[in-house]
Amino acid sequence: MNIKQLPKLGDNATLRLSRQGGVAAIQALSRPREIEFSQCNEQQRGQICSLLEGCLPLADRATGRGDQRYYQIELRYREHEQDDEMVLRIPEEQAPGELVRLWDKGEVY
Amino acid sequence: MSVLSPRGFIPPYILDQIIRNGSQHQRQRALGTLVHVQQLLPNPGAPHRQRGDALLPARGQPGLPLRSIHDAQQLMQLPGMEVRSEGQPPTGDAAVDEAYDALGAAYEFFWQAYGRDSIDRQGFPLVGTVHYGDGYENAFWNGAQMVFGDGDGEIFHRFTRSLDVVAHELAHGIIESEAGLVYFNQPGALNESLSDVFGVLTRQFSLKQTADQADWLIGADLLTDKVQGVALRSMANPGTAYDDPVLGKDPQCGHMRDFIVTRDDNGGVHLNSGIPNRAFYLAAVAMGGYAWEKAGRIWYDTLCDRRLPNDADFSAFARLTLDTAGHVFGAAGSERMAVEQAWVDVGVELT
Repeated sequence: MNIKQLPKLGDNATLRLSRQGGVAAIQALSRPREIEFSQCNEQQRGQICSLLEGCLPLADRATGRGDQRYYQIELRYREHEQDDEMVLRIPEEQAPGELVRLWDKGEVY
Repeated sequence: MSVLSPRGFIPPYILDQIIRNGSQHQRQRALGTLVHVQQLLPNPGAPHRQRGDALLPARGQPGLPLRSIHDAQQLMQLPGMEVRSEGQPPTGDAAVDEAYDALGAAYEFFWQAYGRDSIDRQGFPLVGTVHYGDGYENAFWNGAQMVFGDGDGEIFHRFTRSLDVVAHELAHGIIESEAGLVYFNQPGALNESLSDVFGVLTRQFSLKQTADQADWLIGADLLTDKVQGVALRSMANPGTAYDDPVLGKDPQCGHMRDFIVTRDDNGGVHLNSGIPNRAFYLAAVAMGGYAWEKAGRIWYDTLCDRRLPNDADFSAFARLTLDTAGHVFGAAGSERMAVEQAWVDVGVELT
C-alpha cells in the first residue's frame, strides 16, 4: 500500500533520514540525519516537502530483503492536536538523487 | 503505544481486537501494523529468471552449477555485461574469478552436504554481478541474482573476497525458495541467521574444518587494516566482531535478555540474528566434528520443513529444530540434547 498524501508539516515537524540494511548493516554507516523544520526557512521546507512528495509513490514497506539497502524517512509531526509520525522506506535503486544528497550532504538542491 | 512485540509479531487476531476496541490512536497504529504484516507475509517463493540471462540454458544438470558472472562497470544496472560463463577459464579480473569460484563452492556445498540442486532445487542458474556501483559497500540478493560491490577501500575490500558472504547471499535465495521467512523482526533475524549459518558452513566445508577449528566469523576477509575489528559478525561471540572509532562497537546481541527492539534495519534483522547464530554455534561445537553433518543438517531440514511458517519467531524455529533433531538422530540422542541446551543457553523459550 503506497501512502498517498504527505501530512501538513509545520514548525514542530522533524525529519530523520537514514540509510538502512545491507549485509554489512553497521549502524554508524546508516548516518542518520535529523532536520528540524523550525530551523529551516520557507524555501527549504518547500523543497523538502516537494522531495518527500516525490518519494511517496516509491515507498515500499517490504524493502530490504536479501541485504538490499534502502533509505528510511521518519517524519514526526503534530496534527489534530496529536503527535504522529510517518515512515517511508525507499529502495536504494529507486531513491531520487536529491534524497541521497539530502542524506549525504544535508543539501536539497 | 507500540503494537509490535519485542519478541516478534503480535498475532493478527490481537491486532484485530485492538482495531475493534482500542482508542482511535491505538486503532490507527494497529491497523498500520496489520497492513504491514499482511504485506510482508506472502512468500516470494522460488526466484524467477531475469532479462539478460536468456542465452543461458534454462537450468543446470543435477550436481553441476550453471554460473554466469557479469560486470556492471561501476554502474548500478543489472545484470551488466556477461564476462564469464560456466566452463570458461579465469579472466584475470579478481572480482569476476572470485565470484565464479565462490558461487561454485556454495553450489558444491549444498549439493554434497544436502543433495540440493541450486537455489530452487532445480538447477537455477547462478548469476552474479561484480563491480556494481562506485566503491559500493554491499552485497545482496535481489530475488533473481547476487550482486557484489567493490567496497570503498577504506573500510571494506571488495565483497567477493569473502566466501561466506557470497554463500550468505546465495542462501537468501534458498531461504526465499523454502520457508520464505519475512524480512522483519524475529522472522527476519532468523532469515539473516540462516544465511550466516550456511555462509560459514560453506567456508568450513570448503576448508574441511571441524567445528572447533573454525573461527565462526562472517566477512573476516572484508575489513581493511584500517578498521579495528576482525569481521562483520561473530557467531561464537556476537557483539565482539569490531570496536572501531569510525564504525563504533559491534551491536549484535547473543542472548534474549539483550534483544534489541528497533525500527532500523528492518526491525534489527542483522542485530538480533546474533541470538540464533550463537545457538547454532553452541549446538555445532557441542556435537563436534563437521558442523554441516549434524547441526547443519538439523537447521537445513528445519528450513525446508513445511511446518515452518514464514512468520516464525525464535521459539517456533527452535521447537522445530528440536523436533527435527529427534526425527533425524533419535529422540534420546545427544544431538537433540545439544540443540535443546543451545537454545536454553541463549534464552529462547522452548515451551
